Amino acid sequence: MELVVENLAKTYPNGVRALKGISLTIPTGMYGLLGPNGAGKSTFMRILATLQDADQGSAKLGEIDILKQPHELRRVLGYLPQEFGVYPKTSAERMLHHLAVLKGISNSGERKELVAGLLHRVNLYDHRKKNLTGYSGGMRQRFGIAQALLGDPKLLIVDEPTAGLDPGERNRFYNLLAELGEQTIVILSTHIVQDVKELCTRMAIINVGDLLFDGSPEEAESALAGKIWAKSITKSDLESYQDRHRVISTKLVGGRPLIHVYSDQDVGDGFESVAPDLEDVFFSKIHAVA
Amino acid sequence: MKQFIEIFRFELGYWFRGWMIFIFVGIMTLLFWGASYSDNVQLGGAVENTNRNAPLVIQNYFAISSVLTLLMTTAFASSAATRDFASKTNQLVYSTPLNKWSYLWGRYLGCSVAAMTPMLGISLGVLIASSMTDNDPAQWGPNRLSPHLMGFLLFAVPNTLLASAVIFAVASWTRSSTVAFVAAICLLVGYGFSQSLLDDLDNEKIAMMADPLGTTAFSVQTRYWTITERNSMTLGPTGILLYNRLLWVAMGGLAFAAGGLGFRFKERAKAGKKPVDDGASTASMPAKTERPKVKIDESGAGRFATIRAQFGIDFGETIRSRVFLILMAVAILNVLAALFTGAGEGFGNSSLPVTYNVIEIVRGTTLLFAISIVTFYSGVLVWKEREAKLDEVYDAMPYPTWTTYVAKFGVMLAIVLLVQLVNAMSGILYQTTQDYSRYQIGQYAFELILMDVLLLMWLVFLSMLCHVLSPNKYVGYFAFIVVLIGNEYLWFALDVPSIMVNYATTPSYVYSDFIGFGPYLQSLGWFAAYWTLVGTLLGVLTVLFWQRGKENHYARRFSAAGRRLSAPLLGFAGLVALALTSCGGWIFYNTHVLNTVRSSNEQKDLTADYEKTYRQYVDLNQPRITNVRYEIDLYPESRSISFRGQQTIENKSLEAIDQVHFSFDTSFDHTIDVPGSTLTTDDNRLGYRIFDLDSPMLPGESREMSFEVAYSPKGFEQSTSMMQIMTNGSFFNNQLAPQIGYQPDAELSVRSDRRKREMGEPNRMAELHADCGLYCSNTYLSNNSDWVDVETIISTSEDQIAIAPGSLVNEWTEDGRRYFHYKVDHPSVNFYSFMSARYEVKRDEVLGIDLEVYYHPEHHWNVDKMVNSMRKSLDYYSKNFGPYRHNQARIIEFPRWASFAQAFPGTMPYSEGIGFIADLEGEDSIDMVFYVVAHEMAHQWWAHQVIGARVEGATLLSETLAQYSALMVMEREYGRDMMRKFLRYEMDRYLRSRGSDALREEPLATVDARQGYVHYRKGSVVLYYLKEMIGEDKVNAALRELVQKFAYKDPPYPTSLDLIAALRRQVPDDKQYLLTDLFEQITLFDNRAIAATYQETEDGKYEVTLEFETKKLVADSEGEESEVEMDDYVEVGAFAKPETGRRYGKTLYRESMRLTQGKHTHTFVTEELPDEVGVDPFALLIDRVGDDNSKRPRSK
Repeated sequence: MELVVENLAKTYPNGVRALKGISLTIPTGMYGLLGPNGAGKSTFMRILATLQDADQGSAKLGEIDILKQPHELRRVLGYLPQEFGVYPKTSAERMLHHLAVLKGISNSGERKELVAGLLHRVNLYDHRKKNLTGYSGGMRQRFGIAQALLGDPKLLIVDEPTAGLDPGERNRFYNLLAELGEQTIVILSTHIVQDVKELCTRMAIINVGDLLFDGSPEEAESALAGKIWAKSITKSDLESYQDRHRVISTKLVGGRPLIHVYSDQDVGDGFESVAPDLEDVFFSKIHAVA
Repeated sequence: MKQFIEIFRFELGYWFRGWMIFIFVGIMTLLFWGASYSDNVQLGGAVENTNRNAPLVIQNYFAISSVLTLLMTTAFASSAATRDFASKTNQLVYSTPLNKWSYLWGRYLGCSVAAMTPMLGISLGVLIASSMTDNDPAQWGPNRLSPHLMGFLLFAVPNTLLASAVIFAVASWTRSSTVAFVAAICLLVGYGFSQSLLDDLDNEKIAMMADPLGTTAFSVQTRYWTITERNSMTLGPTGILLYNRLLWVAMGGLAFAAGGLGFRFKERAKAGKKPVDDGASTASMPAKTERPKVKIDESGAGRFATIRAQFGIDFGETIRSRVFLILMAVAILNVLAALFTGAGEGFGNSSLPVTYNVIEIVRGTTLLFAISIVTFYSGVLVWKEREAKLDEVYDAMPYPTWTTYVAKFGVMLAIVLLVQLVNAMSGILYQTTQDYSRYQIGQYAFELILMDVLLLMWLVFLSMLCHVLSPNKYVGYFAFIVVLIGNEYLWFALDVPSIMVNYATTPSYVYSDFIGFGPYLQSLGWFAAYWTLVGTLLGVLTVLFWQRGKENHYARRFSAAGRRLSAPLLGFAGLVALALTSCGGWIFYNTHVLNTVRSSNEQKDLTADYEKTYRQYVDLNQPRITNVRYEIDLYPESRSISFRGQQTIENKSLEAIDQVHFSFDTSFDHTIDVPGSTLTTDDNRLGYRIFDLDSPMLPGESREMSFEVAYSPKGFEQSTSMMQIMTNGSFFNNQLAPQIGYQPDAELSVRSDRRKREMGEPNRMAELHADCGLYCSNTYLSNNSDWVDVETIISTSEDQIAIAPGSLVNEWTEDGRRYFHYKVDHPSVNFYSFMSARYEVKRDEVLGIDLEVYYHPEHHWNVDKMVNSMRKSLDYYSKNFGPYRHNQARIIEFPRWASFAQAFPGTMPYSEGIGFIADLEGEDSIDMVFYVVAHEMAHQWWAHQVIGARVEGATLLSETLAQYSALMVMEREYGRDMMRKFLRYEMDRYLRSRGSDALREEPLATVDARQGYVHYRKGSVVLYYLKEMIGEDKVNAALRELVQKFAYKDPPYPTSLDLIAALRRQVPDDKQYLLTDLFEQITLFDNRAIAATYQETEDGKYEVTLEFETKKLVADSEGEESEVEMDDYVEVGAFAKPETGRRYGKTLYRESMRLTQGKHTHTFVTEELPDEVGVDPFALLIDRVGDDNSKRPRSK
């Protein structure tokens, strides 16, 4: 099954054009949606999750027209929003049961089994009786995934799931996601390049409503091979380097700025060629240099 | 200080940049513009002679708006107090080096100032209304600043400060705006509690202080204001009102300080618990597992499971929340407090906790509360997922939207049901504590559980729709309240009488043990179905517009609604709409086609037309009725009647009569047969017929005529009328019959109503003259008969007893119906009642007269007391006034659609709602039953033997004398102290009513028959005083003279002058001035004790010195007072300390002295230690400030 998005556009009443006509085809597997804050990722995800309308374009999951048949899509959808709250004084197990009923799993035996299975799966079984309000961020996100998995979704949308997680929590969360990508379309939005690299077989980069790249991370990296040059400089020189070169990123390494520059040829000037990573891809796309 | 100013300015600016404050100002302006502009909306006491912008009215607007102040302040203050936590700016704000108190004060005062701003809308509304060009200038006085200023300073400012402080304190402690709401509701309960204390005059001062909003003190302090004062004076910060305001602002300050002390900038640790984390121990994920295959169940059972799950979690969470428990506790306390303090029946008395009274009190105190719960929780539930930030999780789930709606609607219904069950239980609990076990569970079920839950359910439909259409919760709350107020108010203002447009309104009804709910069930049922269907359609709309997802733009929601309108939903809505149309059509057919619905204006138009068209005949010479034979067939099961009469009419005048005129009630079918005549005018709209006699009726000539009056109900009415003809407990009188001649009694008497219809001043009763000539040829009860003979054959269903006037001649059963034949023993006033019900009868006998009480079998409580009162009354009156002329005296209970007792010759119908249910167990309580019976018995002399002519002062001869007579019988039975208590209430009611008289206040001698507060209340006070001054024997001698001269005598009928003349003959010369003061003018005193001291003498007695001031005033008809020279007898007295449990102490000294106005000092000796010393110590004189007459003496 594939998710086919064609020319999807959305403008908010205040005039912000969140999506400017995006076309994508997303196959089974982990699909990373990369973009800086405000790129339109969440709008895109919410449209796919039937929580917002598009102005134009279409989105189809197999036979289901997402924009016109929201109810049909919801049957096969798992969605983990960027931010979600919990009810006070409610345990994970109770809440999961409740959501399972809303999902349409009315047979209580089936539901019991399902909930227990999911809790095991996200490793929360031991804490199932605890109130959700007492969960740590990572546990809460795993609970989020568990609820998204209720009902065996064909399409799983996770919006910025690792925001606010510490590295350990993040790793555990990735393990869980990776496993899911084997049978399902999983769309993962993030502004953290590392996430995509570690997880996704395919990815897209969007910025201010435009699709900048769609392909596999390896493709993206190899397209930049030999074009990224790095140099450690002093802070006061930064401006002059920016005038002379197409600087795509600056980061501090040991307190000194390390700049990456995009160039088809050797730029000399003390720059060394480096193997491009996904971050270079991201920044070069965003700065529209490649 | 700088910090404070900045915070204060920021807070104020925050509100003035928003929309809320302006909407509130707008609403208040609109509300009070409407109140002062519209004739149909009556708010704040602008009645008749009080101007619409009278200072008192405006101040009262501010006072009654205090409840609104509370609501609005809650909106402002709870937001201000919790904003930083709610919007998570706390970490920003609180990490600055800000002084806690600057921060709190700034926020508090800023939001308080914002919250009191909407009250300016009151002034704005009144000012706009006062400048409208189509105003009736007679109803508007000059606009003055002071009432606006005082209204704002005495109510808006302190109440806002108080409410805001309490809410601030609670919110800073709990950081929850919800709990703050509850705090506001508690203030409201305090207000309600103080209101219910007012029933008993003894609690007055406590009630005045206890009301956190100050309105009780305000209304008590201004209650005796006269028309002139209402139109010109403003109540400043004086007396208890001032103390009340200071007290409650101080309480606010305390609350604020307490809240401030507990306030911490710090983020609060979550109940000391650290979040769990499974940490590294579970770093590895378990082995891959098979994903379980699940079936998504979209069958009906699956949907039901979804609804049940949603219901379960929402309902469980609601009722387990602390807020809900607090609310319920408050509700129970509120109801019980109201029940324990409020079951009054006048004169500070209680009635038995009969179920309908308990329900009435429960409803009175809790319905508003229940509506608040509906308002509050429907908002909570509609916004719940979004507030918990779970909306995205929920909204992406594959359940249809309607299941959520149904679940949440169900939760609301369950909450409402729970609240009402608790209310019903409180009622039953109260009855149990009162040792009253006649619970009438069915009545609780019908009224509190069925009807009220339905009403609340309709409101839930509306409220949820308001929330779904609103961009946020607060707008939702606000929209709902605006719609509710608009719904209450708009239809009045537009003069639309049909309740079919007035959302969630059902026909009003009065339960009675006689009839149950029977006669109302049809209309109630249809209206219940109607509103449920309307509500269901609102429900469909709510489902369509339910926000799912993040799209909140209205255009989008519209198209989403379109998409959501699936075929089944459309079909459902179509079916509901079809049912609604049919149901509405049926209701319309029944209420508007088979029956009529008239607005009060339309009704007044008819009355006006009657007067305009036919008043020309008011003095037309007409024949008089001398003899009537009634044949009445009553069919209680179908509420039908055929009322036939054969009457003899006689030309008692000196001129020939060539026309006979009839006025009649158009709700009945009338057939009138005057033999030898032609019907020339037949006006069935206004109820008037004129018959031209073929041959004129000569002086002294008698003729026979007959009539038939028929009624049977058609379909059902909007509100059941014709309560007189009932399934059980019918009570009607002979005024059902067509009345000969024009009947002026029904004319419009309210000036503004008349001006609007270009009718000039109200027609008053004819002026009182010594020689009244023609006017004295009619009694004030009838203009077409004198003393008539009456005979009746009345039939009813087999299980009922029918009662007509006179002795029972015969009784038989025929064709399953019961017949009674009655005949009056002595010609009487032509004013008779007929009654029929399933009665129990209690019989007794005194002086050869049969005493009978006909009562509902379950209402036996006070029957013996009634008989006792009849005995004592008959005994006293026949000894002191003259013989009783009937062979029987009957008290007959009738259903409680009216609460009065009335005297017909030998017969006294007495309402189920009073007397029969009075609780007379209290030591100290005034025996209402005894009093009312004695009063009605007295009418057998005063009205039925001696009856006033149709001129001013007529009711002095009936009502005032009946009050006096009853007081004498009561004094014998219960003693002096009871009279003091009784008269205190009478005085209070007289003084209180003066300012709202629609006519002009008259002295007793010229009292209008409509001025009950004068002829009953002032009458009691004045005649008791006269009796104290000249003695009971002398007063009775005068009354005896009146009876001898006028009882059952043909015209001319007596006037008040005859009574005054008879009294003059009894009053000694030095007290003749009393008759002028008491009867001929409105005399008031302003006496007060200045200082009182005592000194123990050597022989163990006490020498008391009282310094006091006397002042005598005469008031004009608008209450404008002027001081007059005084040379009157005034009493000085002293009382001992009352024994425990007693109200009054022993009288130690009582001396009447003739005094002029001004200061006096009087020294006297008492045998015992005086506890209270004063001038006019028994408060017998009319004095607007009665409680300064006495003082507790200090030891010298």
